[in-house]
Amino acid sequence: MPIKKNRPTRREVTQVGLALIAATALPGKTRAEFQETPALRDEVARGQLPKLAGRIPSEPAVADLEAIGRPGGELRMLMAGPKDTRMMVVYGYSRLVGYTPSLALAPDILRSIDVEDGRVFTLHLRKGHKWSDGHPFTSEDFRYWFEDMAQNKHLSPSGMPISMMPQGKGPRFEVVDETTVRYKWERPNPLFLPELAGPSPLFIYRPAHYLKQFHQKYADKDVLDSLVQQANQRNWAALHNRLDTMYRGDNPDLPSLEPWILKTKPPSERFVFERNPYYYRIDKEGNQLPYIDRVILSIADSKIIPAKTGAGESDLQARYLRFDNYTFLKESEQRNNFHVRLWRTGPGSQLALYPNLNVSDEIWHSLVHDLRFRRALSLAVDRHEINQVIYFGLAIDGQNTVLPQSPLYEPKYRSAWARFDVREANQLLDLIGLTRRGSEGIRQLPDGRPMEIIVENSGESTEQSDVLELLRDSWRRIGIKLFAKPSQLTLFRRRVFSGETLMSIDKGIENGLATAAMSPWEFAPTSQQQLQWPKWGQYYETKGTAGDTPSLPSAIRLKELYEDWLAAASHEEQARIWHEMLQIWADEVFSIGTVAGVLQPVVVNAKLRNVPEQGIYNWDPGAFFGIYKPDGFWFDLSEAAAKSASIDPSPPEPR
Amino acid sequence: MLSYLVHRILIMIPTMIAISIVIFTIINLPPGDYFSTYIAELQSSGEAADLAKIAFLKAQYGFDLPLWEQYIFWVGGLLHGDMGYSFAYNLPVNQVVGDRLLMTFIVSFTTIVFTYLVAFPIGVYSATHQYTWADHVLTLLGFLGLATPSFLLALVLLYLANVYFGISIGGLMDPHYVNRPWSFGKAASVAAHLWIPVVVIGTAGTASMIRRLRANLLDELQKQYVVTARAKGLHPFRLLFKYPLRMALNPFISDIGSLLPHVISGAAIVSVVMSLPTTGPMLLDALRSQDMYLAGSFLIFMAFLTVVGVLISDIALAVLDPRIRLQAGRRQ
Repeated sequence: MPIKKNRPTRREVTQVGLALIAATALPGKTRAEFQETPALRDEVARGQLPKLAGRIPSEPAVADLEAIGRPGGELRMLMAGPKDTRMMVVYGYSRLVGYTPSLALAPDILRSIDVEDGRVFTLHLRKGHKWSDGHPFTSEDFRYWFEDMAQNKHLSPSGMPISMMPQGKGPRFEVVDETTVRYKWERPNPLFLPELAGPSPLFIYRPAHYLKQFHQKYADKDVLDSLVQQANQRNWAALHNRLDTMYRGDNPDLPSLEPWILKTKPPSERFVFERNPYYYRIDKEGNQLPYIDRVILSIADSKIIPAKTGAGESDLQARYLRFDNYTFLKESEQRNNFHVRLWRTGPGSQLALYPNLNVSDEIWHSLVHDLRFRRALSLAVDRHEINQVIYFGLAIDGQNTVLPQSPLYEPKYRSAWARFDVREANQLLDLIGLTRRGSEGIRQLPDGRPMEIIVENSGESTEQSDVLELLRDSWRRIGIKLFAKPSQLTLFRRRVFSGETLMSIDKGIENGLATAAMSPWEFAPTSQQQLQWPKWGQYYETKGTAGDTPSLPSAIRLKELYEDWLAAASHEEQARIWHEMLQIWADEVFSIGTVAGVLQPVVVNAKLRNVPEQGIYNWDPGAFFGIYKPDGFWFDLSEAAAKSASIDPSPPEPR
Repeated sequence: MLSYLVHRILIMIPTMIAISIVIFTIINLPPGDYFSTYIAELQSSGEAADLAKIAFLKAQYGFDLPLWEQYIFWVGGLLHGDMGYSFAYNLPVNQVVGDRLLMTFIVSFTTIVFTYLVAFPIGVYSATHQYTWADHVLTLLGFLGLATPSFLLALVLLYLANVYFGISIGGLMDPHYVNRPWSFGKAASVAAHLWIPVVVIGTAGTASMIRRLRANLLDELQKQYVVTARAKGLHPFRLLFKYPLRMALNPFISDIGSLLPHVISGAAIVSVVMSLPTTGPMLLDALRSQDMYLAGSFLIFMAFLTVVGVLISDIALAVLDPRIRLQAGRRQ
C-alpha cells in the first residue's frame, strides 16, 4: 500500500502564516495611545465619525516604516485617461495577501492565513475591519462573491475565473464564522495566493451590503427595474457589472478597503481621492494610515506628461515617463524642487526577438525549428553595443530570462548563447548547410531566395527601430539581411498569430523577478500572446479547439513541466520545476534577449518621504509603487525640510 | 422660398442615412473591435485584462451579431436620442461629452472672434494698399502663420508660458479649478490659459482668411461700379464698406457650413498636444481605440451640424445677395 500522501497531520503553516506574526505584533501600544488624524478631528468631534479606536480593526495591521510620518498633505499625480483611475487600486495595494518589498507573500488585509497541502486555504479576517462607509467587512462579503456572483450565469457568463479552478474544478467554499472562510480544492492550487496578491487581483470578496441593492436575488423587482432604467442599462446584470468596479475603481459609491477612495464622479479631467477613515493600517505610534489626506489624479495626454512633470505638476510620477526623458527631468530638478530617481524595471528583457515557430513559410519554418539557427542568431547580437549606444551602458546584457534579483536566478541562464561571437555563429549556419552566398555576401535559402529576415514590431516606440538598426549591422556579418517593419499593435499581433510574421520584436517576459511560487506560464506554450509560438499557446488556451499541438519535444516538455508545477504541493518541487524550465529555455533560445533592467525615472517631490531611493518598478509582482505601500509616504512640511529642499536639491545621501 | 426649404430639408434625410452607413463601415473596417484593441493595449503594457468582464460586455452589446444588425441597433438608438455606450469611459455617450462641449464652444468661439478681429482689418488694409511695404510685411507674416505647423507653435508657447508666466502646461485652467463651480478666479484662470490655444489655432485660420479677403476684395476694387462711385465723389470709406466689401463677403458666408462642425470638434491635433479638455482629443481617442458608439455618435452629430450649416449658409447667401436665385439649377 502506498504511503498516504497529503495527510492533514502534515499541516503546513507556510511562510505566509509566519510573516504575519511580525506584522501584527503591536509594540506595547494600548488603545488609548491612538492618535486621531488631524483632518478628521472635526468630523469626530461633531459625531459624524466614530473615534479612531472604533474605526480600525481591533487588531490593526501595523506598518513597519522607515520613518514615522506626519499626517496631512495632498499628493498630485498625472494620468493619461479615464481608465487610469484603476492605478489607485494598483498603487494602494490593499490585498488579502500581498508581496513585501523582498517579494515574500504576507497577509495584509487578512490577519492570517492557514494553508494545508497547498489546497485548503483558511482565511482569517481582522475583527472589527470595516468598509470605507463604516459597514463591517465579514465573511458574508466573501460568500456573496462566491455564491451570488461567480456562480451566477448572468453576472459571470464564462463561469468562475481560471485561477479558481486550475484543474478544471472550483473549490468547496465554507463560511466558518463571521471572520473566517475556507476554500478547499481537491488538488493543490498554486495560483490562488499569487492571484490574490496581483496588481490586478482576483477579488474574491465584494461589498455585499452595497451590491445587494442591484442583485436580482435580493433587490425589490420594481425598484431594481427603475434603477436599471435610470442608469440607461439593459438589465440588472449590466447595472451590477457597471457599479461593481473593484479594480477599475471609477464608482465613487462603491465601498472600498483601499487607503484612498474616489470622491469625483466620472467623467472628469481631475479625480480626487480622499483618505479612507476606516483604513486598517496604523504606524507604530498609533497614527492611522494613510498619512496623505488627498490624492489628485489630473488627466493629460500621455505625451505631455513628461513636460508637465518637469514643470513640477506631479509629486510622484513614473507612469508615462521614459528613460529618454531623464536628462530633461534632471535639468528641471532644481527649479521645481523634486528628485529624479532611477528604479530598475522588471521584464526579463527590455526588448527580445521572437522567431515565430509557427511561421507558415515552409523553408523558414524548418529553419527556425533548427536549434542551431536560433543559437546562431543569438550569438550575432552585440548586446554590449546595444547597451552602450541606447541605454548609456546602464542596463544588463543577456538573454530573456529571470533577473539577478529573482531567487531563481543563475548566471548561466542569462549568459547562455548571449556572447557576441560572429565566428561561431557563421560556423553554425555553415553546419546547417546554408553555405551558398549571393550578392553582397548574403546567404541563400535552400530554394535560392536570399536570407532576408523581416522583423515586425508594433510601432509603439522608436526604441525598437533603434535596436533593430544596430542589429542589422551585426547580422550582416553572418550573411543575413534584416529589415524592420513597424506596424500597428492589433495588426501586428494578428500577423504573428496567423504565421505571416517570421520574426517579431517586443518586450521580453513580464516577470523577471519570479519566485518559485509564481506561475511559470510565460516559459511554456500556454497563451496565444506568446509571440514565439502563438498557435501552440492558442491550442492550450482553447483546450484544443483552435491552434496546433506543439511539435518540438522541448516545447512539449515545457508544457508538461508547467502542468506539473500546477500540481506541485511543495515549495521545493516548484523550485525544481522552475529550474528545469529555465534550463530548457536557456538551451533552446526560444526568444533572443537583448538587455534588461533598463532604468525607469521616478520623479519624487523633494518633501515627500519614505519613497525608497532605489526600487523595482514592475507590474507583477510589484504593482509599481504598490509593494512600497504608498499609504506610508508623507510630506515633510517642517521648515528645516523646506530649507534643505530649496538650498540643497542634490539627491540625498546614498545608502 | 418655402418649397425650396422643404425640398432642402427632405434631401437631408437620405444624406444623413448615407453618411451614417459610411461612418459605421469605416469605424468597423480595421480588424478587431474595441475589446481586442483594449486587450492588446493592456498586454503591451504588461497588464492582464479581466477576461470575464470583457466576455460579459461583448455579450451585452451584441458584438457577436452580424454587422448589419449592429448597424440597425445603433441607428435605432440614435433616433430615440440614445447615443449608445462608451466602453472606454464605461458611461452612456451623452454623459461622456458633458462638460467638454462647453469648453470646446469657448475655445472655438474665441478663436473665431480672434480670427475675424485680426484678419478683417489686415485683409482690407492690404487689399486697399496693394504692393505697399505694409502689404508685403503683412503678407509675409500671413504666410509664416500658414506655414508654421500649429502643434510646434503650441509646444513652444507652452514651454515659454510655463517658464516665464508660470502657467500650468496644457489644459484650460489651473488644475485646482477643475470640477469646481464657476467663479471669478476660475474664469480668470481660463482666460490666462485660453490665449495660447486661441493664438495657435487662430494663426493658420487668420492667415488664410487674410489671403482670401485680400484676393476677393482686389477683384471687386477693379470693377466699374467702384470707379463710378469714386468718380461721383463718394467718401472712400463709405464706398469701400457699402459696395466691394459686401461683395467680397460671400465666400465667408458660405463658410458657415463648415464652421458649425468646427466649433464642436475644435482643432483636434492642437488640442491633443495641449491636452485641452475639448471634444477633439476625445474623438481621436475613440477612433483609435475603436470605441465605436462614442466615435460613431459623435461623427454623426458633426455630420448633422455640417448639413444644417450648409443649409443655413445657403439661405443666408440668398437673403444677403439678391443676385443669387433659388430656382436656378432646378428643372421643373
